[in-house]
Amino acid sequence: MSDEKKNGNSNQEEQYSLNDDRRVKVLSPGAMVAKRFFRNRLAVTGMVILLVMFLFSFVGGVLSPYREDQVFYRRDYISKEYVGVTENTEYRYLKLSDEYGAVQQAMTVLAIQQENSSFDAKGKTYDVVKEGEGLYSIMDGDTAVGAAYLDIISAEDSSVTFSDEFQYNALLGLVKGGGSFTLDGEDYDVDDTGMITKGGESVAVCSRYIVQSKTSGVIISNEFREALIDHLASEEEVFTFTDANGETAEYELVYDPATKIWSVKQEVSTQVFDTYSSPSKEHWLGTDRNGMDMLTRLMYGGRISLLVGFVVVIIATVLGIILGGFAGYFGGWVDNLIMRIVDIFYCIPSTPVIIILGAAMDGMRVEPKIRIFYLMLILGVLGWPGTARMVRGQILSLREQEFMTATEACGIRVSRRVFRHLIPNVIPQLIVICTMSLGSTIITESTLSFLGLGVKFPYASWGNIINDVSNSFVLTNYWFIWIPAGVCLMLTVLAFNFVGDGLRDAFDPRMKR
Amino acid sequence: MGKNQAVEDPNAPLVYDPQYILMVKNLKKHFPIKGGMLARTVGQVRAVDGVTFNLKRGTTMGLVGESGCGKTTTGRVILRLSGEKTDGQVLFNGQEVYDLSPKEMRALRPKMQIIFQDPFSSLSPRLPVGEIIGEAVREHNLVPKAEFNDYIDKVMDNCGLQPFHKDRYPHEFSGGQRQRICIARALALNPEFVVCDEPVSALDVSIQAQIINLLKELQEKYKLTYLFISHDLSVVEHISDTVGVMYLGNLVEYGSTEDIFRNPLHPYTKALFSAIPIPDPKAKMSRIVLEGSIPSPANPPSGCKFHTRCQYCTEKCKKEAPVQREIEPGHYVVCHQYDK
Repeated sequence: MSDEKKNGNSNQEEQYSLNDDRRVKVLSPGAMVAKRFFRNRLAVTGMVILLVMFLFSFVGGVLSPYREDQVFYRRDYISKEYVGVTENTEYRYLKLSDEYGAVQQAMTVLAIQQENSSFDAKGKTYDVVKEGEGLYSIMDGDTAVGAAYLDIISAEDSSVTFSDEFQYNALLGLVKGGGSFTLDGEDYDVDDTGMITKGGESVAVCSRYIVQSKTSGVIISNEFREALIDHLASEEEVFTFTDANGETAEYELVYDPATKIWSVKQEVSTQVFDTYSSPSKEHWLGTDRNGMDMLTRLMYGGRISLLVGFVVVIIATVLGIILGGFAGYFGGWVDNLIMRIVDIFYCIPSTPVIIILGAAMDGMRVEPKIRIFYLMLILGVLGWPGTARMVRGQILSLREQEFMTATEACGIRVSRRVFRHLIPNVIPQLIVICTMSLGSTIITESTLSFLGLGVKFPYASWGNIINDVSNSFVLTNYWFIWIPAGVCLMLTVLAFNFVGDGLRDAFDPRMKR
Repeated sequence: MGKNQAVEDPNAPLVYDPQYILMVKNLKKHFPIKGGMLARTVGQVRAVDGVTFNLKRGTTMGLVGESGCGKTTTGRVILRLSGEKTDGQVLFNGQEVYDLSPKEMRALRPKMQIIFQDPFSSLSPRLPVGEIIGEAVREHNLVPKAEFNDYIDKVMDNCGLQPFHKDRYPHEFSGGQRQRICIARALALNPEFVVCDEPVSALDVSIQAQIINLLKELQEKYKLTYLFISHDLSVVEHISDTVGVMYLGNLVEYGSTEDIFRNPLHPYTKALFSAIPIPDPKAKMSRIVLEGSIPSPANPPSGCKFHTRCQYCTEKCKKEAPVQREIEPGHYVVCHQYDK
């Protein structure tokens, strides 16, 4: 009508002649459907969402700088326990004579604790003489038979062991604040820090602290030990040590009062999977639990989800058209047979079957890529009966229409009758059914993938992306793992349903409520 | 075929007489009734149960009768559109229609066409009109490709359609225009014989007249032969040269329009024609009112099928089925009243 007005101004004559050819614009049924469809706002919204999803999935994957299964790493510092330092508070014993046995040792501790100067054992009286801080000599008369001590002597060369006599002399030297002794013809000097030297050369050190290596294969040098023990007195938490090669390392000291152990921790830098990293410039939606880029996974996941949806629906529709078409067009026993098969398929509980088949594929270790194809095939083969039933019903009713009789009366070929007259009249319902079932197929695929029976790692699908969220920690802390995939899934299914509804209303306006 | 003589043995084969384009003898079409668990045939609907008539070239035969008497089925069975016949013979131009192979049948199709009652369901909704009309023409290569468009335009023009209608779809047309499209589709194949299956009953009266006149015009132009099925007696009187009256699958009376309307012989025909309204308020209508309703064709009465409602019913009528007799030249009736 508006066209008429526009044209009419330029040509007064024509304005008033209402020729049939000027009256209405010719619209084919297809064009009318399109017109009605595009008037439906919800349907157009759905269409736009789908378009965006397709671009996101199929073009996005190409544009993304990362691969689907590209793993990212980051350098991380791990605080590793390097050495443990324990202060010795228990007395150890030196046996200077054979008679100083276990009983005497036990009595010694008792005497030290009760601050007695002597004890009786095995009918003998021993004197306990305090030589200095942390060293007691046990005397039988004037002879020292044993000693109790706290400072431990460790040799510079770990293969060397010292005799009890050597240790006793060294400890005596230490508690006296320095001195020298001669043993087996060798002269040793002891200074007040506990350093034992032989001719200016250090042979051993005595200290109340036990330094133990906590990392296998690491030998703690005496320099390190001395520096560490010196440092302990300062009670500072950070300890810096420069070794003989001039390399400086920083250590952290942690004192555990329960065990009375000083832990010396070293910060070690290692390369780790960049898991669950928050959204950043490099990874717009962060990374997942395998350290793969979430956005890229989402794109590839959409590709698989949409592809599975389409392939499954195409398989189901082709099977449905062929079988439903045969049943409807030929009728009789063909119809009976096919419809009974449909009934059987309706009886099959599809979810358990799919789960069992999924588990079977797990058992057979089917390759993830092949598995996707199997999945499509299984879902497609389980999906055709609905379509077949619809097509059969439509064809049964169309077959009796007079225009079909007319084509027969006109002597038109059977193939042409089917493809030119029957099928085009079934197409509208078919398109609606397909669009609707696309949504539900994508949901099914996602459910299976979520359960770990559908698409498998390393391939992404929206379902198995959400599968990462199998515990509440991830759910609550890493929103970027599951929210985008969930939103994509929801939007796509919603959009398919909108478009399906829109198409249905467009094809048959009477069906609109 | 002597006067007042029974027509020869119904099982004897027909002898082709070139003046008749269509010869139908003892044509039967029974539809099985399926029932029970195994969908066995438990009965038969005798939709057409022995119809015999001959149709001259270039004439129109009206087929009348009440609803459900088998008029439409007769039309379709003649064109071999309802599967296989049950019994009888249909000779089209001397050729038994049911003896043809599917391929030969397809080749014969253009010669015999049908126009349907409902112009709304008889046009494929997804094809443009030009395609609907031209599809079969192209299928049978009736005209060279170069002339195809002109040919369709010409056919459409003959049927009162404009050339620009070609690109439109059936839903854009009114009922009368759609019926014109149906006529154009049938005529585009250049047929010799057209079954008009109540072509005007779905249309309003003014359009009916247009369509009837169009059909008559086209008949003169192309020397067509019509089998005009209708329950509207005034339309039949207007268009037909001969009239057949059907009752429960049987042709009870058959003769020239003039004879039948002037002198109806069969009691059913009399009752039927007495129901034609006379457009004169003073004229007294002597209507014969039939008792009861039409019996079920699945379980037809014995003997003469009309005996349950016939006022002249005798014992013989109940037992014995009457045969077709020629009472006047070209005026046949199936009734025991005329047995003498």
